[in-house]
Amino acid sequence: MSNSRATSLASRLARAGCQDAVAGADLIATWKLPIVSRHDSLDALLEMLGSAADPDWALATLTQLPDQVRELALSSPHLLLAVVSVAGASAALGDHMVRHPDQISTLAATTRDAAPAGEYRQQLLAAVGAGASVDAPIAGGFDNEELDALRVAYRKALLGIAVRDLVFGVPLEQTAAELSDLADAALEAGLAIARAELPEDAPACRFSVIALGKCGARELNYISDVDVIFVAEPVDGSTDEEALRTATRLATGLIRACGTRTQEGSLWQVDAALRPEGKAGALVRTLASHRGYYERWATTWEFQALLKARFAAGDQALGAAYVDAMSEFVWTAADRDGFVADVQRMRKRVEEHIPSRDAERQLKLGRGGLRDVEFSVQLLQLVHGRSDVMLRAPSTLSALEALATWGYIGREDGAVLSSAYRFLRSMEHRIQLQGLRRTHLVPDNAQDIRRLGRSLGFRGDVEAELTKAWTGHAHEVRRIHEKLFYRPLLQAVARLDAGSARLSVEAAGARLQALGYRDPQGALRHIEALTSGVSRRAAIQRTLLPVLLGWFADGPDPDGALLGFRQMSEELGSTPWFLRLLRDESITGQRMATLLSSSRYASDLLLRSPDALSILSDDTELVPRSLSHINQELDAVVDRHESVEAAVAFVRAVRRRELFRIAAGYVLGVADLNATMQGLTDVTAASLRATLRATIQAAERVSGQPFPTRVAIIAVGRFGGAELGFGSDADVLFVHDPLPSTSDKEAADAAARVINEMRQLLTVPSPDPALVVDADLRPEGRQGPLVRTLASYRAYYERWSSPWEAQALLRARAIAGDDALGREFEQIIDPLRWPADGISDVALTSMRTLKARMESERLPRGADPTLHTKLGRGGLSDVEWVAQLLQLRHAAMIPQMQTTSTQVVLQVAQDHSLLDSDDARTLMQAWVLATSVRNAIVLARGKSSDVVPSGLPDLPAVAHLLGYAPGQGSQMLEDYRRTTRRARAVMERLFYS
Amino acid sequence: MDKQTDFVLRTIEERDIRFVRLWFTDVLGTLKSVAVAPAELEAAFEEGLGFDGSAIEGFARVSESDMLAKPDPSTFAVLPWRSDVAGVARMFCDIHLPDGSPSYADPRWVLRRTLTRAADMGFTFYTHPEVEFYLLNDPPGKGAPEPIDHYGYFDNSPQAIGYDFRRQAITMLEAMGISVEFSHHEGGPGQQEIDLRYADALSTADNLMTFRLVVKEVALEQGIYATFMPKPFRDAPGSGMHTHLSLFEGDRNAFYEAGAPMQLSKVARSFMAGLLRHAPEISAITNQWVNSYKRIAGGGEAPEWVCWGHNNRSALVRVPMYKPAKGNSTRVEFRSVDSACNPYLTFAVILAAGLKGIEEGYELPPGSDDDVWSLTPAERRAMGMEALPSSLNQAIQAMERSELVAETLGEHVFDFFLRNKKAEWEEYRGQVSAWEIDRYLPLL
Repeated sequence: MSNSRATSLASRLARAGCQDAVAGADLIATWKLPIVSRHDSLDALLEMLGSAADPDWALATLTQLPDQVRELALSSPHLLLAVVSVAGASAALGDHMVRHPDQISTLAATTRDAAPAGEYRQQLLAAVGAGASVDAPIAGGFDNEELDALRVAYRKALLGIAVRDLVFGVPLEQTAAELSDLADAALEAGLAIARAELPEDAPACRFSVIALGKCGARELNYISDVDVIFVAEPVDGSTDEEALRTATRLATGLIRACGTRTQEGSLWQVDAALRPEGKAGALVRTLASHRGYYERWATTWEFQALLKARFAAGDQALGAAYVDAMSEFVWTAADRDGFVADVQRMRKRVEEHIPSRDAERQLKLGRGGLRDVEFSVQLLQLVHGRSDVMLRAPSTLSALEALATWGYIGREDGAVLSSAYRFLRSMEHRIQLQGLRRTHLVPDNAQDIRRLGRSLGFRGDVEAELTKAWTGHAHEVRRIHEKLFYRPLLQAVARLDAGSARLSVEAAGARLQALGYRDPQGALRHIEALTSGVSRRAAIQRTLLPVLLGWFADGPDPDGALLGFRQMSEELGSTPWFLRLLRDESITGQRMATLLSSSRYASDLLLRSPDALSILSDDTELVPRSLSHINQELDAVVDRHESVEAAVAFVRAVRRRELFRIAAGYVLGVADLNATMQGLTDVTAASLRATLRATIQAAERVSGQPFPTRVAIIAVGRFGGAELGFGSDADVLFVHDPLPSTSDKEAADAAARVINEMRQLLTVPSPDPALVVDADLRPEGRQGPLVRTLASYRAYYERWSSPWEAQALLRARAIAGDDALGREFEQIIDPLRWPADGISDVALTSMRTLKARMESERLPRGADPTLHTKLGRGGLSDVEWVAQLLQLRHAAMIPQMQTTSTQVVLQVAQDHSLLDSDDARTLMQAWVLATSVRNAIVLARGKSSDVVPSGLPDLPAVAHLLGYAPGQGSQMLEDYRRTTRRARAVMERLFYS
Repeated sequence: MDKQTDFVLRTIEERDIRFVRLWFTDVLGTLKSVAVAPAELEAAFEEGLGFDGSAIEGFARVSESDMLAKPDPSTFAVLPWRSDVAGVARMFCDIHLPDGSPSYADPRWVLRRTLTRAADMGFTFYTHPEVEFYLLNDPPGKGAPEPIDHYGYFDNSPQAIGYDFRRQAITMLEAMGISVEFSHHEGGPGQQEIDLRYADALSTADNLMTFRLVVKEVALEQGIYATFMPKPFRDAPGSGMHTHLSLFEGDRNAFYEAGAPMQLSKVARSFMAGLLRHAPEISAITNQWVNSYKRIAGGGEAPEWVCWGHNNRSALVRVPMYKPAKGNSTRVEFRSVDSACNPYLTFAVILAAGLKGIEEGYELPPGSDDDVWSLTPAERRAMGMEALPSSLNQAIQAMERSELVAETLGEHVFDFFLRNKKAEWEEYRGQVSAWEIDRYLPLL
């Protein structure tokens, strides 16, 4: 061969797509066959190489074939195309052809038609030496010889399927169905091998293999685990136990026959993990035992798996009986208790299950993956399949088609999803074909991607084209819930596009109910109101609503959320920014939906001033603002306004905005409990400070004199501890100190006047929430004067103070008004609350007695002490009294314990070995839980309550905010009672003895 | 609608059932019943039947006491003793909170939860109870109780009322699908024993609730009175409910291991060790009345000490005679339980104790083949034999410290049960008994 001819061959090979054309030309040169010189045959070969996924692989395979076989191929265009196509797409099948060249000649006869029914079964049984005509075929043996024969015959059939796929381009469904039939045949042959392995005297049994998953639906991949369930029955004379013993041997034999790796490799793993009780359960069960399980224990996802149950191998009558028995369960799954909760959980799990590694390259898992399509289609089947038998189709594509045909999803959406699904599945097939390896990852090296793209027919800039097509389809799938679940709901109430099949109102109701809406008719009315008409607003809402409906359904009160959205939309829909914000910033919409469906408190604040929506997209806007920041803003507000009423109205508006920020940040998980308590305390302190300032300034303006006395506000209780919750009152003491020039009477009157005005302005009815200032913890309680002078406090505490008052002062902290005065007040009380000699036995006894009396007297009649967060068993008071006792005893000696924070006291006590670390943890857990529950109660219902709710609608709403899944309300109650019971046991030990 | 629900509704129509009694059990084991007309049943299946939980012992306090009873169609049975033209049937219910989550106050849920824990470990739990009870001539309130006969163990006498009684009770039980394995006259005068066939624990508990009612009904029809009181007579044995226990993995008995000592697998031995170690703290559940401890103290077939043995009738846990060919019948017998327990709670704590043994791999202490009663206290101490609580008060104290029981019962039942039992004990403490009068009045 001349140099120039070699060069021109190399350049033609390069044009055909060879990566190493020179090496390719050299390979062809080694063939040394006269026929190569013939132009037509070389032309044909080059053209075929051009259509192959990887021409280099094809050439390599051809080169390794025996001369005779290669010559045969080159002489038959049909056969050559088959060999080049298969070897070009699959290195693994190329190797197989090299090892078994005898199988190649039959490929010439391959047509586009699938193998006739039963053919694979016959071929594979014959390969293992079993007769196909008997009921229970037995292989010739169970050694490597049979296992190898099974594998070789299996791959031979696989070659034919690959040829139909690659050369004839048969539809995905045909390939997947053929792969499933072949898998059935392999299971049958594996079973025949297992039978050969049984001892002679093994008791007889009927045994059937049921395929589930992709194999069950006849939509199998080139290579994946084959999901099965085994069922067995005794035959005359044998007991259940004996039959199951034999059947278990058959099952394990079958699993081994298919899965073991021999010199011919392995087929795939037979996976029986979907059986009752999963991996912990018995491998084989009787039909009655299966029934018993599904009657009693099974969960929704298990019925979803049974949706695809199909007889695959073994005793056909038994298999049919099984499938028949199970279909009853499948189609009534939607009636079971907890179905809605299960669906919600499953939907969440699928969405959240995005593996961090390789997420980008995943075809199967994660948002927009194959699993998402399959799963969503199955859910719709479960919801609507009971009343509509037309939906009972096993495979994803056929079910999708049926759903579209009968109006359960939009026709166009159905078509788009179907083509996306086909494309993603084709990608998966071609990826798996390359090495016959079970993978769902798109390759990440250029070579593999190029081969993958070429196998799917892309030419030119293969990688770019493939990526474009893939992302296009994945994008369609990514919004699947919107398309499958929600958009059809709009069509159910739309009066547009009459004629085409659409979701009936009844079916829409059933679907809304399955998604968690409690009043489907009401929901449909809202949807109708929001989407009907030709306005721009209705048009935008038609595109927004399918997404929002899904987000609403993630929370415990989708109905309330939909109503809230309708209210907001009616108020703001015509403003330019509202719908635009929701449309353009999906995080805003999602967070709005979360707040509307899970928190009345946040919803009320939002509905009062919807412009607060704008902060939702920015996490930095959702953490509580610092005290100095708020003070600064409020100082400016107070200075700006002459009228004290106007100033305080502004203060309250700022407070409302900050409350929304804190509530939203907490509900959305941006701010934690401690930051939230601190934030609420700061807002309250700043509001009091600004209001006091405004009233004093107003008084000065009126009198034209400096205010006659210094006033300070001392926070006590949870306010003093910086432990405020949502909806808490502000517990305070008021102290004043007359200026030297003023009479006591004049000063006291002035102080009382501003304080009363301040309290009145903070609670006067207004759209902004009231701030209740509670001074009941002052000396002598309600009988005592509202405000005392510093001197009066000093005298009072010197003369009268009881242990109880010392205890109440433990959390006192100056937070507003005259700073110096506040400090002086604290100096008076310090020696009282942190007594140098600790607490006397007498005082301790009286403290214990008081606590015991409060437990019996303060708890409201009929209240369940195990659920009362404040005074109940192991509730806030129990923990706080332990902490306070520790302080009374030790704070004088341990400066770190001179704090108003319960959590800090417990921590310091543990650090100083005054508290066992288990006890500290137990107490802390109960305190944090009770505090969280109290916050969740206010957030969920918009008003406070001391009792953990156990009824509708508060129980599920509170449970949701505490992170419980739907339908776990009673579990929350159980956890609450357990945590507090343990805390009570610790408390009794530490406080009472 | 699933096939079972469908079957129930069809049967109701075909057999002209006019009332369906929905049954559930309160925390102390008393059967509660509410009758609904068949027309309302479909709604009850779907949404449950609302009722006021605060009216049921241990279910709820006054506030927020709405609860839902949801019938379990698999428990449907026609009641055989209402022989009127119109039939009456019953179903057991599961109790839910209004949000659809299961109520932790429902004893059936307590057992279901524990069974699910077992299922998570791969086990199903089977029980087989031997129920003892007394037949008396008259209902309470007519002076000292008087047994219907003075026969003894296995006595078979012509025209014995007990014989007729047993035959009729068994016929009724069988008519309701409850299989009886065995029945005979027990040791005490008028005392009977009827053994139910082994079944999964939830069915057995349901069956026991039915059983007690059937026995009472049949007695009533025959003009006599049946009682499950643990110890009605000072000088005759108490009424126990020895319960045989086994765990299955699928269709295989997990207690069985061919060739092992007594054919007991490691699972069985750890399970037994769990029973032994936790027996004192579950005592308040298995023996829940003041009177229960009179039976325990009475000797005979009632165990007073924590030990196990093979065919040892004085042991708390007994391994019955085994048949080498019958692996699936391997089981252990727990002998402290009495006939007046709440079977749901009892099976739950027994199972939990056994599972704990398996989970933690407890070692089974050596068995004892001695008659424990004949040992001296010093001998028992030397053998490390602990006594079971000897009074309800002791049992309450042991239970109060038990995380195992709290976790198994759930906090709600745990809390209610302790409060209720403390009150019972307090009331009992205030009594002056006939014994005290007889003994002290002449003397002091």
